[in-house]
Amino acid sequence: MTHMRRGVACVLMLATAVIILGFGSGSVLAAEIGIAVGAPESATVGADVEVKAIVTSDDEPLEGAVVALSYSTSLAGVAGRVELISAVTDSDGVAVMIYEQRAAENGEMFVEYVGPDDIETAPFVFTIAVESEQQQLYAPISGIKIPLLNGTLVIAVIAGVWSMIAFSAYQLVRVGRAGQGAEPVPSVVVASEQGSAWVATILTIATVLTAVGMVIVFLRTPLASGDPLRPELYDRSPIAFLDSDLPYGGVGLADASLAETDDPLADGEMLYFQFGCASCHGLSGTGAVVGPELLGEVGSLGGFFEDVREGPKEMPGYASGVLSDDDIELIHRFLKDGDSG
Amino acid sequence: MESVARWRERLIAKTTKPTLRTTAWYWVWLSFLVAVVAIGVYSYSTQWRNGLIVTNMRDRISWGLYISAFVFFIGISHAGTLISAILRASKARWRAPVTRTAEFITAFSLLIGASFVVIDMGRPERIFNVYLFGRWQSPIMWDVMAITTYLTASLIYLYAPMIPDLGLFRDRLADEVGPVRNWIYRTLALDWIGTPTQFKYLGKAITLMMLIIIPIAVSVHTVVSWIFGMTLRVGWNTTIFGVLFVAGAIFSGIATLVIVLAVLRRIYHWEEYLTPKHFIYLGYLLAAFAAVMIYVNISEFVTTGFKLEEAGEFAFRQLFLEDFSVMFWFYIIGGLITPLVLMVVPKTRTIAGVVTAAVLVVIAMFLERYFIVVTGLRVPLMPYEPANYFPSMVEWSIFAAGLAGFVLLITIAVKIFPMFAVWEMVEEREQEVALEIAQSILVDEDMRDDDETSGAGALAGSPIPEGGAP
Repeated sequence: MTHMRRGVACVLMLATAVIILGFGSGSVLAAEIGIAVGAPESATVGADVEVKAIVTSDDEPLEGAVVALSYSTSLAGVAGRVELISAVTDSDGVAVMIYEQRAAENGEMFVEYVGPDDIETAPFVFTIAVESEQQQLYAPISGIKIPLLNGTLVIAVIAGVWSMIAFSAYQLVRVGRAGQGAEPVPSVVVASEQGSAWVATILTIATVLTAVGMVIVFLRTPLASGDPLRPELYDRSPIAFLDSDLPYGGVGLADASLAETDDPLADGEMLYFQFGCASCHGLSGTGAVVGPELLGEVGSLGGFFEDVREGPKEMPGYASGVLSDDDIELIHRFLKDGDSG
Repeated sequence: MESVARWRERLIAKTTKPTLRTTAWYWVWLSFLVAVVAIGVYSYSTQWRNGLIVTNMRDRISWGLYISAFVFFIGISHAGTLISAILRASKARWRAPVTRTAEFITAFSLLIGASFVVIDMGRPERIFNVYLFGRWQSPIMWDVMAITTYLTASLIYLYAPMIPDLGLFRDRLADEVGPVRNWIYRTLALDWIGTPTQFKYLGKAITLMMLIIIPIAVSVHTVVSWIFGMTLRVGWNTTIFGVLFVAGAIFSGIATLVIVLAVLRRIYHWEEYLTPKHFIYLGYLLAAFAAVMIYVNISEFVTTGFKLEEAGEFAFRQLFLEDFSVMFWFYIIGGLITPLVLMVVPKTRTIAGVVTAAVLVVIAMFLERYFIVVTGLRVPLMPYEPANYFPSMVEWSIFAAGLAGFVLLITIAVKIFPMFAVWEMVEEREQEVALEIAQSILVDEDMRDDDETSGAGALAGSPIPEGGAP
């Protein structure tokens, strides 16, 4: 297991580095969290990869720490990090993370301390090279590839059709040229005050430019497996991003019986979900695309009653048969005093 | 017999007449159209400011009148080019007086139709993203490409055969019209003096465009249908949509052509050139396509109805029995069967009959576009209450502006451009006269030869009746 041996060496080296870095930074936190990682240097697409992280707190193994493994990538020009797996350290401060290598390229990989304490620590950065075997799990496998039936053919058709149009337009340039300086045909022309053929020239040039433009639009299309400018099995693996926390703080489906906890704030929040307020005003009342922010922003109970019953702007009104006065009061209380957590 | 030269002079006089004489009614009509367009522009400005919320399109029914209008106008555009190209390719001799109008209808309805796509956009300033970030895997891109191609091709196909007539106008109207139109004629006529070389190059351009424009036109409305057909929605998810849309496009195109020709004929007294024959031949085309449409509808509804999946039942119910049944049955009975009957029964095979059929067809085909768009989106994808949609005033006024804009463009074009292909009509007239002379000589000889035997030869050589009126 050369991978493992190298991994251990890696761990020792980097643990030292992290410790030095930790001291050097002069952090004022109560505990210095150190992370060291043991990982293979390379992985094969489709195979499982084991990554071990050792978490120390003031150089002592830290039990129960949550660490997450992620890798950096970009999707549609936006850079971010995709989380692969997270784990909790055992009594030796070791967390074992096994993930399946899916991407054709990992970029930089990170092991990060996530919790349970709210401590900012620098992530441990390392790399795992991916051995390419032309196998990539997220390649577009649906559909069949038929030789020659691809973007190149479409471009050929566009080019063919447009060259015929441009050729026709060019004939008009020739019509104009043939008229210049030639003897007029008396039966056709009466007075011969003439213009020139520049309209036809412009028409021809515009036609050619439009045709070229269309082919350029075509060639610029990204992520096309049939695209002549892209390699086969163009990497489209990134699937999710870690960068921001999703502000989801509610429950999936609200059941009426859940709103009987006798805690007015909890009951109010439940009713807020149950009657669909959340779908416009955000999961925690923090506002969304349609509805404005409500949490901490609602006014008097009287005004709130009126708004809920009438439904201002595009909001539907809630009749007393649907939503009782008591329930409105509870929702109001939640929105007034609840927190977004 | 009248000489071709004199016949030509009379034709030129008739063709140039709209450009020379303008009545007060014309200005009234023009002002009315401009007013309707202005109201539409104002409505659009409210949509520009406030977004698509001013329409009645919402999340569940997200396409409505605008997209129906888009499909409808792109459909009408097949009038022109396709009919003119098919008639030209098949050397139909009666085509000459109708082609120019048809080609104008094509160009103008394409412009109006394409603008409805932009009108339907919530963020129209992002239109250029189609060019900057477009992906050719998307049916919308196919549409943009097909319509761009068709618009370019049909403008050239409108322009090329008009060059000799523009030359004619340049020569004849130099002293009669103002400097703007003079400049237009001088510039667009491309030094046309009618030399054989010029005719050769012009012929090349026209022939090539005529051949290529038929597949382009077919592809355009097929691709328009694919915007619907490439989705998994009940009612849209069918392979017959391409055929249905192309047939429907030609069908509504012919009908529009009939209406426009009838109006122009009445206003400018073009009875000599637009004879009942032209209308009846167009009526036959209309009847043929009505039959095709009936067939396609039966084929579609029987194949899906026989299997009738769960959501299909909802789709059928709303179409045949409930919300959209009035529209649907008007389309079938009023728009497909009645026009066919009107053309089959000899008594109604008149200009009035053809125009009646054409009006029915245009209304029915618009309704068809509308219910295809809306019913397809109305079928619930999950167990929720089906949404309802009826266009808002903003949508109606913009749609009205689209119709008015189309008529306005034709109204203006009549005052500037030659609406008859004079040189082609003269060519046809020459051939007709030559044929008549040849036949009269033949008849004379036959008479002499057959004097002793029988009179059968005289019947066989009877001259073709002029105008071909029934």
